[in-house]
Amino acid sequence: MNKNVAEIIDALAAHQDNASIEVLEELGTNSPDNEVREYTSRALVRKNVHDSLKVVIINQGKGINDLSPAVAMSTINEILALKDKSEVIRILDDTINMHSDESVKENARSVKSLLALS
Amino acid sequence: MKIDNLGLKIGQKSVNPFKTSRNSTTNPFQNVSFEGNTLECADVFEKFKPKSSSKFKMISASVVGSMNKLRSKFTEPIVNFVNRVRENVSSAWDYAKNTNISDIAGIKNISEAWNNTMNRDVLDIGKDISNSISGIGKNISEKMSFLNTDILDLGKGISDRWSNLISKIHHNKISKDMSVEDLKALWLNEINSAAEREVA
Repeated sequence: MNKNVAEIIDALAAHQDNASIEVLEELGTNSPDNEVREYTSRALVRKNVHDSLKVVIINQGKGINDLSPAVAMSTINEILALKDKSEVIRILDDTINMHSDESVKENARSVKSLLALS
Repeated sequence: MKIDNLGLKIGQKSVNPFKTSRNSTTNPFQNVSFEGNTLECADVFEKFKPKSSSKFKMISASVVGSMNKLRSKFTEPIVNFVNRVRENVSSAWDYAKNTNISDIAGIKNISEAWNNTMNRDVLDIGKDISNSISGIGKNISEKMSFLNTDILDLGKGISDRWSNLISKIHHNKISKDMSVEDLKALWLNEINSAAEREVA
C-alpha cells in the first residue's frame, strides 16, 4: 500500500468531521486493493462512532462481511480491541435483529459471540 | 774470402786503419761561460746525444742562468727591500682603515651612478606597481561588486526556492489538519497515479 494513502486514511480516521467517514467508505472500503480495504476498515473501527461502525458491520462485502478473510478477520480483531464496545454491541444487536441479509446476520452473531468470550 | 787471408788470428785485436773519429771528451767550449744563460761549467757538448737530449735539462739550465743574472742585479740589500715592502703594506692598511669606501673615486662614481639610476628606476617601478595594484584592486572590486550582486541574487533565489519547497512540503504534509476535501483530492490523485503506473 502506498505510504501517502495510509497517511490519508490515518488523517481521515483522526478527523472529527463525519464527511471523513463518507470518504473512507467511498474510496477505502470500495478499493480493489485488499490492504487498502483492511486499513480503511480498521480506521473506521477506531473512530468508534455509529456511522463508522455501521459501515463495517451492516454493509455487504465490507468490514466483517468482506470477501477477503484477511480483511474480515482484521476488522473483527480491531473491534475486539476496542475499549468501549457499547456502540459496537448496539449495532450488532440491531443487525442481528433487523438486517435483511442472513449472511450479514450470521457474521454479526459470530462477532457478538467473540465479544462475549473476550 | 777466408779469414786466414786477412792474416788475422784468433785473439788478435783488430785495428781499424781508417778510424778518424775524434775523442768524445774534447769540448772546445768547455770552461767557457755564456754570461749566465747557461749553466756554468756545464759541458753541454759533453756526451751530446741529439736524440736523447732532455728539454727539461735545457730549461733548467736557462732558469738557473736567469737566477744568476737576477742575483747580479740586486743593488740594494735585501733588508732594505723588505722594509720598503713592509712600509708600503702598512701605508696601504692605514689608507684602507681610515678611508671611507664611498670616498674612493671608483666606488663613489659607482655609487652615484647606482643612486641616479636604480633609485629612480625603483621609484618608477614602485609607482608602476602601485598603480597596477590599484588598478587590479579596482577591477577586482568592480568584479566583486557584480559577483556580490550575483551571489545575493543567487542566494535570494535559492532562499525563495527553498522556502517554497519547505512550504510546499509542509503544505503537502498529510495530517488531520487538512480538510476532508483536500484529503479526498489527494487520495484520488494517488489512485489516478497508481492507475497510470499500472497502464504504463
